[in-house]
Amino acid sequence: MLEASRLTLAYDGGPVIEALDLSLPGDRVTAIIGPNGCGKSTLLKALARILPVRSGRVTLDGEDMAHLPPRALARRLAILPQAPRAPEGIRVADLVRRGRLPWRGLLSPWREEDRAACAEALAAVGMTELADRDLAELSGGQRQRAWLALVLAQRTPWLLLDEPTTYLDLTHQMEVLGLLRRLNRQSGTAVVSVLHDLNLAARYSDHLVLLGENGVIAAGRPEHVLTPEHLGAAFGLRAQVMPDPVTGTPMVVPLDTPETEVPA
Amino acid sequence: MRGAASLALLLVLASVAALLHGQIDAAPSVLWQGLVTGEGPGALILDTIRGPRVATALGAGAVLGLSGTIFQTLFRNPLAAPDLLGFNAGAGLAIIAGIAFGIALPAPVLAAIGGLAVAGVVGALAWRRGSGTPALTIILVGLGTGFTATALATFLMTLLPGTAAAEAQRWLTGSLAARNWAHAAQVWGFGMALTLLAFSQARPLMVMELGGELATGLGVRAEPARWRISGIAVLLAAAGVAVAGPVPFVALMAGPFGARMTGARSPAARMAAGAAAGALIVVLADLLARASVPGLQLPVGVATGLLGAPYLLWRLSREMDKGDL
Amino acid sequence: MRQAALLALLLGLGAALSLTTGPRALGLSDFHTALTAYDPHDPAHVTLMAIRLPRLVAGLIAGAALGVAGTVMQTLTRNPLADPGILGINAGAAFALLLGAAVFGRADQAAIALFAFPGAALASVAVFALGGGLRGDAGPVRLTLAGAALNALLLSMVTAMVLVRQESLDILRFWVAGSLTEAVYRPVAQMALLACTGAALALLIAPLIEALSMGADMARGLGTRPARVQAGGLLAVTLTTGAAVAIAGPIAFLGLMAPHLARPLAGASLRAQLGTSAALGALILTLADVAGRIILAPGEVRAGIMVALLGGPVFVWIARRLRPGAMA
Repeated sequence: MLEASRLTLAYDGGPVIEALDLSLPGDRVTAIIGPNGCGKSTLLKALARILPVRSGRVTLDGEDMAHLPPRALARRLAILPQAPRAPEGIRVADLVRRGRLPWRGLLSPWREEDRAACAEALAAVGMTELADRDLAELSGGQRQRAWLALVLAQRTPWLLLDEPTTYLDLTHQMEVLGLLRRLNRQSGTAVVSVLHDLNLAARYSDHLVLLGENGVIAAGRPEHVLTPEHLGAAFGLRAQVMPDPVTGTPMVVPLDTPETEVPA
Repeated sequence: MRGAASLALLLVLASVAALLHGQIDAAPSVLWQGLVTGEGPGALILDTIRGPRVATALGAGAVLGLSGTIFQTLFRNPLAAPDLLGFNAGAGLAIIAGIAFGIALPAPVLAAIGGLAVAGVVGALAWRRGSGTPALTIILVGLGTGFTATALATFLMTLLPGTAAAEAQRWLTGSLAARNWAHAAQVWGFGMALTLLAFSQARPLMVMELGGELATGLGVRAEPARWRISGIAVLLAAAGVAVAGPVPFVALMAGPFGARMTGARSPAARMAAGAAAGALIVVLADLLARASVPGLQLPVGVATGLLGAPYLLWRLSREMDKGDL
Repeated sequence: MRQAALLALLLGLGAALSLTTGPRALGLSDFHTALTAYDPHDPAHVTLMAIRLPRLVAGLIAGAALGVAGTVMQTLTRNPLADPGILGINAGAAFALLLGAAVFGRADQAAIALFAFPGAALASVAVFALGGGLRGDAGPVRLTLAGAALNALLLSMVTAMVLVRQESLDILRFWVAGSLTEAVYRPVAQMALLACTGAALALLIAPLIEALSMGADMARGLGTRPARVQAGGLLAVTLTTGAAVAIAGPIAFLGLMAPHLARPLAGASLRAQLGTSAALGALILTLADVAGRIILAPGEVRAGIMVALLGGPVFVWIARRLRPGAMA
């Protein structure tokens, strides 16, 4: 369980999230959704402790995260930020090796388990053949899979991802989301992502958290979260929700948008 | 309009102050007497000691300021100034080379050759087919070319005998010491001619300011216009460097300062304001450098360096906050 | 492995050149006898052991230290144009040593080196901080311009000091002109110790710097503390740069070039890059020193000028290859 209680988060200005309570199930696929600027990414960063908490607390399996040493936390929870910076001219295999950092001392040699973790991570994302390629030569989807392999090599029970599908076309979005779900099913890794596309989120997640301007509007199974009332409250959007003809998961079909006046 | 008037007034006041103050302060009455009668200490100050120096400072500052304003407008970047782009360093290198190899060409010609050569190198190296060269690439390539020119100048200075090297070093700092009317006439003569040329380009510059693609759409042939305008601006900078040395940061500061003071918007108005601001900066900096340490005349470049460096750092942090850099 | 052997071979060649080149033509056999049967009355032996060997050693140490400093700074800032020696530090060292000489009234080579160290070290940190490096978003343009601005500021103050205090000029000449030739009079051993400490620190925390180079968020996610890593990296830069400038005089652009040449040879590992860059830095400075002795023989051009003649074009070459997106 990854839980937040009375969580308040703020950047330099006013609070972005105030007194938020949330509980995310372990060994599930969770998606955090909501309108722009509602603090989805901010919340995810706080859950991974890469953003300091203004007040309230986050607990990981019952332990207060504030008391965990950074390395201990990095062995239990991995995060893929929205825009990690790729070192110039790096090969995929070298990138993935960096995921082993929390498990290695500064002077310890490269061990068999490190090698195995990297090989497994590369295999999980289907990049074994591309391991020796320069990251910059790869397509957007392949690059995102390489970054995924890095956090997978971290071998953590929790995996948090900040908009892992941004800048990808639909095919690659589905590829990445399908990969995350497969990971969860095969190894029990708890996956939490911030996503934009409601229908894809519903299709690939077990658990949805819908954020609005004033905190959590609904959380739970997709069919309970994606309702016209909730969507109206979160997005100010009139929509119909019908079963996805392919998977049966809820599918959001927006009705008319309020007329926007074009200035003359 | 009020801003323009106050800038002009400041310029006059600064010039008078620069004539009055120095190693030996002169009373206004003495100066006045010298002006009217053409005799006495006032006349000496006006004719030989400070008069030509102030006239040279005004001219050099104006051409440097005008040059900086043109570049900043052309590349739409407040950091694009001939000193940062390496042109001043190129002009300086040419003059040092002239001293080292005994090339018997007048300083402005050498400076122009050096400045234009560096401008050509920077333009050729930074130029990218099609997309149009980003201003930041030009600035970086210009900086690097300037570093190279400075390294070459340092290298050449090791060839010079001690006294010549010290003189060259002083020259490279930017100095207005011992300037005579020939210097003033030179910078004003070249400056006037180039200024006329520059203002003839105000209209294409106005269009270029919108960006090369839009300029093409509006019927201005962007590439030739850019080269033409750059060439004039380089020559302007070279005219200033030839008489005052590569005085740092004047060209960088003058444009924004002039525009801020006068509220000028159109390129032509900004160019005029930039020239006036450049003249004001150099006259004041020279006054400051002469008067700050008793018994000692610091070169003007020291003062503009001390003023300009904090300005550049401030500008950087502002561009940073705007997210442009 | 082949590359390491090649580098070692090149370094050996450079060292041999450095020992044998100069106004007095000497062979390696002279060096051998000087080592095995030193004769204090043989001018060849004295030249080798008291002038050329210290000069070689100082060049190797300073070059290696700047290679390390440049690699750390470029990785830390993810900025291919970052160089502790770009502008800034040399002027900082000059300013500090003039100030030190004025305040403490000492101007011998040892004192000058001691004054230059904090000047260079502080200036390297200041360039980094002013260029936005501490915010973790230093772009090449910003960092370079901040260096240029600081350089201009310090140089103006140096010029002013030289004009105000006449003896300052002699002190400055003493330091600048001396460069590697005066190395024997400088506290090379102490500075070498500082440089080695800095290099060892850089090697130790290299994996953490690698993590930080992927962004502060990624680094935190991997269990590191970005502020500490940055402080550690800066300390390493400060120690190596300060020591290098203190023993070898003003040298710019070496920290820029060496990492760029090292990267394709060393691959992705920062530790390998550090080692390779140190070797290349030592090699370049040694060769520059040799070239400076040849080009105007019997006169000399100091190694720093030779490096700058090479470094300026390299800077332009790197700047041209930057994609517009990587600029800010």
